[in-house]
Parts: sequence; C-alpha cells; structure tokens
Amino acid sequence: MPELPELNPVIHGKLRLALLSLLSGVEEAEFTWLRQKTGATDGNLGAQLLKLEEAGYVSVKKRFVQRKPQTLYRMTDAGRAALTEYVQALRQLLGGAIDG
Amino acid sequence: MTANTEAQELKDRLSLIETMIAEGRRSTERFGWTFVLWGVAYYVAILWAGLGHDYKAWPITMTAASVLTGFIIAQKRSKRPATTTVRAIGTIWTAMGISLFILLMSMGFSGRADQHTAIALSAAMLAFANAASGIILKWKLQIACALVWWALTVYACFGGGTPLTIAFLMAIFFCQIVFGAYGMIAEARQRRKDAAHA
Repeated sequence: MPELPELNPVIHGKLRLALLSLLSGVEEAEFTWLRQKTGATDGNLGAQLLKLEEAGYVSVKKRFVQRKPQTLYRMTDAGRAALTEYVQALRQLLGGAIDG
Repeated sequence: MTANTEAQELKDRLSLIETMIAEGRRSTERFGWTFVLWGVAYYVAILWAGLGHDYKAWPITMTAASVLTGFIIAQKRSKRPATTTVRAIGTIWTAMGISLFILLMSMGFSGRADQHTAIALSAAMLAFANAASGIILKWKLQIACALVWWALTVYACFGGGTPLTIAFLMAIFFCQIVFGAYGMIAEARQRRKDAAHA
C-alpha cells in the first residue's frame, strides 16, 4: 500500500488556504478585497498573510492611490506550486479514505 | 477524530479551494459603463458636427470621453483585483481606441475624411475589439455586436447618405448603449449576489 502524503501545515489552515485559493485566480489583490471575500478580521487576516509571506507563498507590494495606502498581495511561483501539491495530496488522501 | 470526520474535513478543504478560486475569477471587472459612455459620446459628436462644427466636434468630444474613461478606470481599478482576463481585454480596447483616435483625427484634420471611409473603418475596428473580447469572455451577445459592426463595415462600402447615417446611429444604439446598459445591469446583479455571499 503506498504511503499517504503529508498535508502542508502552512496551507492547511482554513483562512490561509482560502487566501491562496483566492490569489490563484487573480494577478494581484488588495488587502480590503481579501478581507471582504474571506470575512476575516484585519488582525487575523494580516497575521495569516504574514505567515504566507514568510513561507514565500505570497509577495507584498505597498503603494499609495490618491494619497491612501494600499497593500497588494500576489501569489508567488512557490505558492502556486505548494497549492498544487496540496490539492494533489488532498485528492490522494480522499481517494484513500474512500477506498478504505 | 474518526475517519469519517477526517474525510469530511478534507472534502470541506477541497470545496473551500474550489469556491475561493471561483470567487477570484468572478471578480473580473465589467466595463458596461464604457460602452454607454462612448455611445453617448458618439451621439454628441454626430449631433454637434451636424450643427456645423465638424472640425471641432469630434476632436473635443473624443478627447473628453478618453479623459473621462481613463479617470473612471483609475478610480475603479484600485478597488478590484487585477486579473489576466481584464488586462487582456483592456489591452485590446486601449490599442483599438488609440488607433481609431489617431486615424479619425488625422482624417479630420487633413480634410480627407468621407462618410464611407470613416464609418467603414470605425465599424471594422469596433467589430475587431468586440469579437476579440467576446471570444475571450465566451460572450455570445458581444460576438453578436461584432457581427453588427462587420455588417455595417460592408454596408458603408456600398451604401451611403442618410440610410448609412441611420444604420450607424442604430448600430451605436444597440451595440454601445443597449449592450453597455445590459452589462451594467449584469454587474449590479453580481454585486448584489456578492454582498449576499459576504
């Protein structure tokens, strides 16, 4: 019987997984848009995005638009690869669960 | 945790990924308002030119519409995420708009513009942009608009006079104003749906 894969703990958190999935469908997204889509609080969202940034899964860009600060997040190649691997592992585990 | 609960949790994760990816893609910005704005701008320019101010009606109206479009896009862009689809479609319309602007201005100032050529070229360029975005978005209504503009291109080469002007005005009405208003209604519906989800 093949060994079941481990799930990446950085991605496995619900909010972090939602954030990476959202970012996979866009080129880049603003903090407020991510907050609106996930319904998370500013503090929690900031903390989870920081974890993804530290893992190298998202990159951050800050800019000013009409004198207002804006924080933009973009998924990195490493983030995309990690999400793809996570989905494959998830499917494999679910397949195992169904078979079992 | 039992095996069933664990499996259910994994299924929930997979479903969360699918839902969030769909949310991101659904955020593709709609540009219905630009069609309405440019449709109205064409009508203003045609009416103004008809009052005997041909030399300044088109340059002033087109410049004003371009500035207004750029300003509104800059305002809206800061609120929505950037997607590849939006960038691709935006590029097509920007390139088409600049080409049409340069062409019509040059024809106008050189005095070499005639009704057939101006309408045929404008219609062909609008058909190109509508067809390209319609194919990217897989939006049949926009492809239908491209067909209308292509038909007008052919008609402009053979017909002329008042019937051609009427055909041009009708194409603007249906493919700019009505189509744009429909796009705006669809966008408002999507916004309400998103608000209900949040």
